[in-house]
Amino acid sequence: MSVKITGNNRRLPTARSQTINRGKSIQFTFNGKTYTAYEGDTIASALAASGVTTFSRSFKYHRRRGLLCAAGNCPNCLVHAGDEPNVRSCVTPVSEGLKVRSQNAWPSLERDVMSLTQLVDRFLPAGFYYKAFMRPRALWPYYEEILRHAAGLGEVVPATKPGEFDKVYKHADVAVVGGGPAGLRAALAAANQGANVMLLDSEPALGGHLRYATHDIGGQPAYQYAAALAAEVAAHPRIDVMTNTTAFGCYKDLWLGAVSGDRLIKLRARALVVAAGAYEIPPVFENNDLPGVMLGSAAQRLVNLWGVRPGTTAVVVSANARGLHLARELEQAGITIAAVAELRDQPEAGLITAINAPALTGAAIVRANGSRHVESIVVRAGGQERKIACDLLALSTGYLPANELMLQAGGKVAWDEALHEFLPSSVPPGIFVAGEAAGAHTLADIEREGELAGIEAALKARYGDADAQARRDTLAAQTADARSRRVAWSAAEADNAAGKRDFACYCEDVTRKDIQQSIDEGYSSIELLKRYSTVSMGPCQGKMCNTALVQLCAAHTGQTVRDTGTTTARPPVRPVTMGALGGRLMEPVRLSPMHEWHVARGAKMMNAGLWKRPEHYGDPVAEVRAVREGVALIDISTLGKIHLHGPDVPVLLERLYTNRWRKLDVGRVRYGIMVNNEGVVMDDGVTAHLSDNFYYMTATSGGAAAVYEWIESWLQTGWLLNVHALDATELRAAMNLTGPFARQVLAKVTDGVDLSNEAFPYMHAREATVAGAPALLLRVGFTGELGYEIHVPAGYGLCVWEALMDAGREFGILPFGVEAQRVLRLEKGHIIVGQDTDGLTNPLEAGLDGLVKLDKDDFIGKTSLVLAGERAVEKRLVGFTMPDGTLPEEGNQIVRPGKGPLGLEIIGRITSTRYSPTLKQVIGLCWLPAALAEPGHDFTVRVRGELKTGRVAALPFYDPDETCLRA
Amino acid sequence: MLQLIRHGLNGKRPFPRMWREHELKDRYEVVIIGGGVHGLAAAYYLARDHGITDVAVLEKNYIGSGGSGRNTTIIRSNYLTPEGVLFYDESVKLYETLALELNFNLLFSQRGHLTLAHNDSSVRTMRWRAEVNQLQGVDSRLIWPDEIARLCPQLDLSDHPRYPILAALYHPPGGVIRHDAVVWGYARGADLRGVHIHQKTEVTGIDVTNSRVTGVRTTRGTIKTGVVLNATAGWATLISDMAGVRLPITTHPLQACVSESLKPFLNVIIVSGSLHVYVSQSDRGELVMGASVDPYTSYSLDSTLGFLEGLSGHLLELMPSLARVKILRQWAGLCDMTPDYSPIMGFTPVEGFLVDVGWGTYGFKAGPVSGKRMAELIATDRTPDLLAPFRLSRFEEGRLVGEKGAASVGH
Amino acid sequence: MLLLTCPNCGERNVAEFRFGGEAVKRPAPEDVNRATWADYLYLRRNTNGMQREWWYHTPCGCWFVAERHTRTQDVSHTAFWSPEG
Repeated sequence: MSVKITGNNRRLPTARSQTINRGKSIQFTFNGKTYTAYEGDTIASALAASGVTTFSRSFKYHRRRGLLCAAGNCPNCLVHAGDEPNVRSCVTPVSEGLKVRSQNAWPSLERDVMSLTQLVDRFLPAGFYYKAFMRPRALWPYYEEILRHAAGLGEVVPATKPGEFDKVYKHADVAVVGGGPAGLRAALAAANQGANVMLLDSEPALGGHLRYATHDIGGQPAYQYAAALAAEVAAHPRIDVMTNTTAFGCYKDLWLGAVSGDRLIKLRARALVVAAGAYEIPPVFENNDLPGVMLGSAAQRLVNLWGVRPGTTAVVVSANARGLHLARELEQAGITIAAVAELRDQPEAGLITAINAPALTGAAIVRANGSRHVESIVVRAGGQERKIACDLLALSTGYLPANELMLQAGGKVAWDEALHEFLPSSVPPGIFVAGEAAGAHTLADIEREGELAGIEAALKARYGDADAQARRDTLAAQTADARSRRVAWSAAEADNAAGKRDFACYCEDVTRKDIQQSIDEGYSSIELLKRYSTVSMGPCQGKMCNTALVQLCAAHTGQTVRDTGTTTARPPVRPVTMGALGGRLMEPVRLSPMHEWHVARGAKMMNAGLWKRPEHYGDPVAEVRAVREGVALIDISTLGKIHLHGPDVPVLLERLYTNRWRKLDVGRVRYGIMVNNEGVVMDDGVTAHLSDNFYYMTATSGGAAAVYEWIESWLQTGWLLNVHALDATELRAAMNLTGPFARQVLAKVTDGVDLSNEAFPYMHAREATVAGAPALLLRVGFTGELGYEIHVPAGYGLCVWEALMDAGREFGILPFGVEAQRVLRLEKGHIIVGQDTDGLTNPLEAGLDGLVKLDKDDFIGKTSLVLAGERAVEKRLVGFTMPDGTLPEEGNQIVRPGKGPLGLEIIGRITSTRYSPTLKQVIGLCWLPAALAEPGHDFTVRVRGELKTGRVAALPFYDPDETCLRA
Repeated sequence: MLQLIRHGLNGKRPFPRMWREHELKDRYEVVIIGGGVHGLAAAYYLARDHGITDVAVLEKNYIGSGGSGRNTTIIRSNYLTPEGVLFYDESVKLYETLALELNFNLLFSQRGHLTLAHNDSSVRTMRWRAEVNQLQGVDSRLIWPDEIARLCPQLDLSDHPRYPILAALYHPPGGVIRHDAVVWGYARGADLRGVHIHQKTEVTGIDVTNSRVTGVRTTRGTIKTGVVLNATAGWATLISDMAGVRLPITTHPLQACVSESLKPFLNVIIVSGSLHVYVSQSDRGELVMGASVDPYTSYSLDSTLGFLEGLSGHLLELMPSLARVKILRQWAGLCDMTPDYSPIMGFTPVEGFLVDVGWGTYGFKAGPVSGKRMAELIATDRTPDLLAPFRLSRFEEGRLVGEKGAASVGH
Repeated sequence: MLLLTCPNCGERNVAEFRFGGEAVKRPAPEDVNRATWADYLYLRRNTNGMQREWWYHTPCGCWFVAERHTRTQDVSHTAFWSPEG
């Protein structure tokens, strides 16, 4: 006889734990059909209440899967909800209008074509894809598309809304993970010692497994006992309770990652109590995945949390007292208990007799039967097999202690041969494991261990006194004694012969036979077995399967379970959305004080590192012309600006730069390049000697932070120079006023300095007042024209800029951007570090040899350059023009006939090139072999696939006599 | 395929073992330290191409337990330097036919590889790479947002992101592969030809007499040999120190993670150097994601939360629709970084002690070519042209390889 | 996340710091040849154990020395540099 599923409304008359509010209905849809839920329901509890038993299709064989754990651990109830794929429907609250659909089933969850793969499962053993689809090779991409579409669970919704993700930082003396009886006791004990405690639990309320149990504890039902304890905790002034919060990672120095909805919580604790309980796990037997086969705790949760009847006729398979309590509870909820199959020979007699159903002791599960749903179970007891009809098979046969956080932090677990569980064998400092995570299952043991861990954690966080230590010692002694007398709550995995569809791994549809076959093929260590058979690599990450896997592996290899070991625990404990992890992008945007002005004038802005800079204001050619023929102004606030104070600055400069700095008079400016220890060009810029013991250094925009850090490293780690460096990059705005009329414009708004060429010549610096602002003027010439860099306090930047633009109006002043500046500097043959040089360029090759003074005492990189100088320079950075006017692209390669596939060999490359409106020709910089680097030499460059001729030209292209520059 | 059908029809007929277990002999002609793709490939090619089968591969854990099983499996040859391109191109070509050769489907998926450029300087570098690649016969070109959108509609190609996408280097032959399968396939190929693979066998010392290798000490006994190849990653300097050979290497962790399994939607490999992320979708449906190496040296295989945060934040910049995709698992591997982001292969000052190390973040893709060419080096006692740029002596000679610029996120 | 103690500011998350590499001493230029200079530039102990190394605390601009175990990541000691080492 078999029991048919009848009726739709499986809601029990009372929900004892009051999790749901029957006064408030919520409508939602599942696969297009509307369902009614109560407030407090999860998606799965509401569906189960409406009689839905198939929630998903399995990964490989597309078998029907129903609720297994109802606690957010297994893969069986994964659905697509709203925008989110792979939602654990059993722990996700239902909301009004939520659209839920099943995944990985076509055309529908009820009729899934891919379930036909079961018929050919014998041709699809573990790793079948490694053995097929190779010939002919041309067909592999087609095979692969089929495999790809068969794999995969949920779907990404292209229009997913960004969401309101955020992050918070928290600090606690003691963090307690798990709000069951162990965690509650631990939190109270630690807080009572004075520690500030943060208690995290992934469930919506505290109480742990007691929250959904009704057996008697000291005269009250378990859930009421738990509620009272939870209330005490919640009322404690030093305990911060965070429910609906899953601690998913424990990283170095007790840095915990937790997630609560769309919020990431980063918690630093001084001590951590792991009281995360244990995952109830299923045994391996034939058809152990049929809908209606579920963990005892799942049945209990359905009944007691959401008032849902998980079946009408149940068989309870039990290996511990909790299973027997469960049978009693199901009975009280009106479910017929067809039988209790007790795996132990001698269960607690009092509990057995309380159940009005036949109890088979010393039983073993043979198989479950059914096609769409479990219809009966076959058990062996007393030497004979019996078939018992049921529509619910509740399994209370084993636990995996939830030690992931402890393991992530570097702890270890070992198999306990007597208790058949992986228990902590080495716990990292600062972490304390308590309760079911430590293998305790009776309430007295759990609470004692919780209190002990709480006191230990408080002591670790430097709370507690001699009394606390005494209490700790007492509890430790009692715990040790209790542990020595513990009995198994978990049954060992039965060493059955491989049957059909006896799944060790639900996520990946891996059977006992698949595991044995993989081992026989040579994948005999647990990690290889995992990687080949894919056991434990799915959504549950081994929570449901790992214990069985290790036992099956040990049984088949003949090793002990302890020696077989377990796989590595990797974060996160539960999958976490990338939205929560990523939060909002916090990378700053750096803006110059004149930014709004540029934007208002229609500048095209570009990214330059973190900065935004004007690329141009519409017509870069006009901007170039303004500099060459009139006057123009560029915002160079992004330049690195470093104040150097102290008597030893000249010594510092002498060592930082490759050229000479000892004799730089006050009021003078000098250009220099810095190389690193390897002699590679790292930055360039000018430094001005402004007054006694005060120098002002500029660095490139991109190199500013690195140069400052570099200077500090030498100052602080060995040179003992009397120099104080200050990074003033953001303290000052800077602009370059340049062009033949620059002096006239500047003179209109400047006081306190004689700007004449004689009084203020090229490469000099002056302090002055510009447009009312205290300004530093550097007469330098990156553009090749008369020019003044004007550095003012950042707050004056905009007003000085506007004053200069006003003053320049009569001269046709234009603002100019990065693009015009690139053309201008190229006309002058100035290099850009990082564009014309790369990570191996030394200054001797880059045409900067005149700036390298190898006869100086010492400077950074000197030895490397001396060694490099012993060899003839092999390649050079030179200027070039294109006689036929072709404009190459930066990155084009210079070639000659050779043995490459195109008959060409690479001998150089173009690093910079532009059409010069001033010179009316294409100009640029390129790397060439030294022998070909003489002006006038022609070379071949590959431009957009065609070979073109370039010609080496002398630098600079513009104003070689520097008459404009020094005017 | 036939094997599957035979097995299916006759369930009692077991598949043959992939590799055997052996007693450790007291003498081998060649000892290879490291049972990853490099060591196993070298053993395979020694046996296949040069008839040298008296070879032991020593693996302290299980085969593929190091970098070979921890990388993100990207295979490509669009490097920056001509020598790099030539070298990796041979590897890609070997990978293309490897499944047939080993009779083991490696699930090599040449889906195309996109390196995104977010600023003008990376556009310049991408063009430089494309030009070098084309001149070496490698399919690689610069593409613009319209074509990027066709290849990967999930990318946000608007100008809203902090780092807008300006262009990309497109490398159609780039792909991903099942990394473990490569290890297992090579192991079986080597085993079939007589190579001894010794798992759970840790090297504890290397005997050197008069600057010549004479033996290797292990946790399972001592081996006499005249040729030792250090093909380890993460522990390359510690192993070389045993032979008295110092290497210019520092060891950094590299982290990676996968998402839960999803129906196929991402058909190309996406890399962003500026955002330090790369992502592909495996045939199992998981997104496989990584970033650049951890900023400080370490032998720790611990994961960090900062990695997940940074990676997720940056990836969502590129593909905002992934906000509800969940990270399933994260892990770390060890990378031996050299000063020029290029490997070290060949002879050392100790005769008979050879290295195939310093593979940074690009070792897996080079497994076949390094194995093949290191086998040639061992068999012929001379350095193949392809390996010459990567010799150990280049550091003292001041002739570093110029991959540094392009390889800072070299996936 | 690793905690480091900046000698200026105290205990901070490692995200605030930049790693400066294994502490090595720069040889005087007169004492070097091609081989010893290459050693200085490129060779590190890369030890699997306690390592003396440089760190930079970005917010305060402080360079300091830390003793860190490269496998366990435990930091036993941090201090300003001093000529006595």
